[in-house]
Amino acid sequence: MLFTRRLMLGLAMAGSMASALAVPAMAEGPTEIDLFFPVPVDGKLARDMGTLIKEFNETHPAIKATAVYTGSYDDTLIKTRASIKAGKPPAAVIMSANFLLDMQIENELTNLDPLIAADGTTKDQFLGQFFPALQGNAVINRSVYGVPFHNSTPLLYINADKAKEAGLDPSKPPQTWAELTDWAKKLTKREGDKVTQWGIAIPCAYDYCGWMMETLTMSNGGRYYNEEFGGEVYYDTPSMLGALTWWNDLVTKHKVHPPGATPGPAVSTSFISGNAAMMMLSTGSLTYVRDNAKFNYKVAFIPRNVRNAVPIGGASLIVPAGLEADKQKAAWTLIKWMTSPEKSAWWSRATGYFAPNMAAYKTPEMVDFLNKNPDAKTAVEQLDVAKPWFATYKTVPVRKNLEDEVMLVLNGKKQPKEALAAAQKAADETLKPYNAETSLKLP
Amino acid sequence: MAATMRSISRRDEMSLAEPAALPVATSAAPRLHVLKRFLDRFKASLPAYLLLLPSLVFLALFTYGAMGRVLIDALYQRATPKAPVRFVGLDNVSAVLADPAFTGAVVNNLIYAVGTAVPSIGLALLFALALSRTHAVNSALRAALFLPVLIPMVAASALFLFVFLPNVGLLDYYIGRLLPVLPNWLGDPDIALYAIMIITVWKNAGYYMLFFLAGLQAVPEDVMEAAHLDGAGPYQRLRHIILPELKPTFLFVTVIAILNAVTQVDHVFVMTQGGPSNSTNLVLFYIYQQAVEHYDIGKASAATLLTLAALMGVTALSFRTMANREGGP
Repeated sequence: MLFTRRLMLGLAMAGSMASALAVPAMAEGPTEIDLFFPVPVDGKLARDMGTLIKEFNETHPAIKATAVYTGSYDDTLIKTRASIKAGKPPAAVIMSANFLLDMQIENELTNLDPLIAADGTTKDQFLGQFFPALQGNAVINRSVYGVPFHNSTPLLYINADKAKEAGLDPSKPPQTWAELTDWAKKLTKREGDKVTQWGIAIPCAYDYCGWMMETLTMSNGGRYYNEEFGGEVYYDTPSMLGALTWWNDLVTKHKVHPPGATPGPAVSTSFISGNAAMMMLSTGSLTYVRDNAKFNYKVAFIPRNVRNAVPIGGASLIVPAGLEADKQKAAWTLIKWMTSPEKSAWWSRATGYFAPNMAAYKTPEMVDFLNKNPDAKTAVEQLDVAKPWFATYKTVPVRKNLEDEVMLVLNGKKQPKEALAAAQKAADETLKPYNAETSLKLP
Repeated sequence: MAATMRSISRRDEMSLAEPAALPVATSAAPRLHVLKRFLDRFKASLPAYLLLLPSLVFLALFTYGAMGRVLIDALYQRATPKAPVRFVGLDNVSAVLADPAFTGAVVNNLIYAVGTAVPSIGLALLFALALSRTHAVNSALRAALFLPVLIPMVAASALFLFVFLPNVGLLDYYIGRLLPVLPNWLGDPDIALYAIMIITVWKNAGYYMLFFLAGLQAVPEDVMEAAHLDGAGPYQRLRHIILPELKPTFLFVTVIAILNAVTQVDHVFVMTQGGPSNSTNLVLFYIYQQAVEHYDIGKASAATLLTLAALMGVTALSFRTMANREGGP
């Protein structure tokens, strides 16, 4: 791994030397910039990105943008950090929305406020284009650090055929946890002790598990983390205890949910094959389900216990720190173009994510698309109750502190209460250095 | 790997240098004698050094340089996120040793090493013994057993991800009829590590078989024939002739298997990310987590140093034993 990091630094340095040599010769030519982009769901995205950037270059002769594929969200963070260290950061990166705070704490982001001001707009006007739920992950300490690019929320997917078979009406999906539990019981089929069809499946693998815990906790009235300050998480709380206990009850008490930790792809495969009658999964999987389900399906809001609330997911465009002024300007032009209503709408239709720019849904192509695919509309409507994605100092380890304990609970190795107490203790420990320099640094 | 290469190259260099240096030893006065001998020896071995230079340059660039940097990084740490890095001596090493995630990863890695090395070496020996005679059928079988080696670990892991899918995967589809409750192969912390080990054994047994096939060629025909004439049965021939002859092969394959157990973690990346609840976390993946997820280069470097030290220890020990064996009667 270290070898790879070294190699990457080497390549980044070689690249920087090459471009340093190229600059004098190309002084009159267009500003060359790189855009790092991850592909979190499927391979088609890479081709769509190529189409998008090609169109940008054709309409902007003064800039030559190159799209660089950088792997998963996590890989993209690694590669961006490596190139910042090597002194040649890319001009723009599509970064997982909950990494922004961590990067800002490490001084790796460019504050976008001056670029917005240079355009003659105010911050409120600029942010006003996007759904309010997305702004929380883009604004840190009242400054803009990211521009929402493609986003998702969790949804409840229902196999409508199986629901009808069980005497349930798929046009009136469950709205509360009580109703959902009831549906799941009716949709579970057994042969003796053996379950042949599960009522519901909720994914739990690193990354997904934390997101689902945030979903359940928020539906139970909770917050999961402090939206205003990166040094606190609320794991050992009644709202999360209720959420985890209910999830655990689905597994052990009602026996309508497969035991153990099941990753996202296993859950969607299980749903597609008819082995699970309902599932909770990202809107990002909507295109996959639409293309592969050989039965009628229905998507619905995540049911509530206390209130309707879900976290967002997805990615924002960022500008790394330490960039020359002309590249920063070119990157800003690219970012504004990519997040404009028309492009945002096009990208949304191509990928299945929803478009963060509200005006995208007013474009004629999008109105058409939503009429043909009403399930895509549910995802957008749920945005009214959506809230930011957890982001703290060291987001990934803090998230893992919780996920490891949740996995133990789902495997029947720990009780929810003691698991959450352990998760809280571990997370507090991980957050300690940040608190030592912020909330606990006293005069 | 680097350690293997280095010890091989050192041996080459000695065998080239020594014969040339010997004849000079009898002339000149004591003081000068030493210096002259040294110079002569250097002059004589100069071509050897020159020949080794290109690989030395690349080793220095990509191996020793990186190792040196890791050594330096392991000595520095920052107290809080905004604080500058400062020299902390061995604090990182003790922090790693005190980290339950690291000790957990070491334990997992030990189970993983033993649990993959023993069955894959056993299977490899069995395959080699069964297929030692060369004819068309055996060649085809050898190729079939070697096939998993040709599949990249990442691709194999992606395949096994589907084999292990709970309820709908290939394994559950067949085993499901026999078991009352279907195991969640990768989602249950008690089973996940063993599921991962199955892939490693499947992938490596064919590779080790090659070494044993080569080793079997070296078993002297005449001794075997003599044993045959003396009325030694197949088990006695295996126990007293074949296995002792294969000892160097065993040693070599064991070293390779141990190195693989530490350096091959592609399937952990693809299939479990070290989970559930750290049950498949291996040392190399722990290092990755420290460097990437925790963004803690100091601790990652310290863990790398500890791992390197352990690996070099194992390699040095085994090559010394091997050298002794070769030198002995």
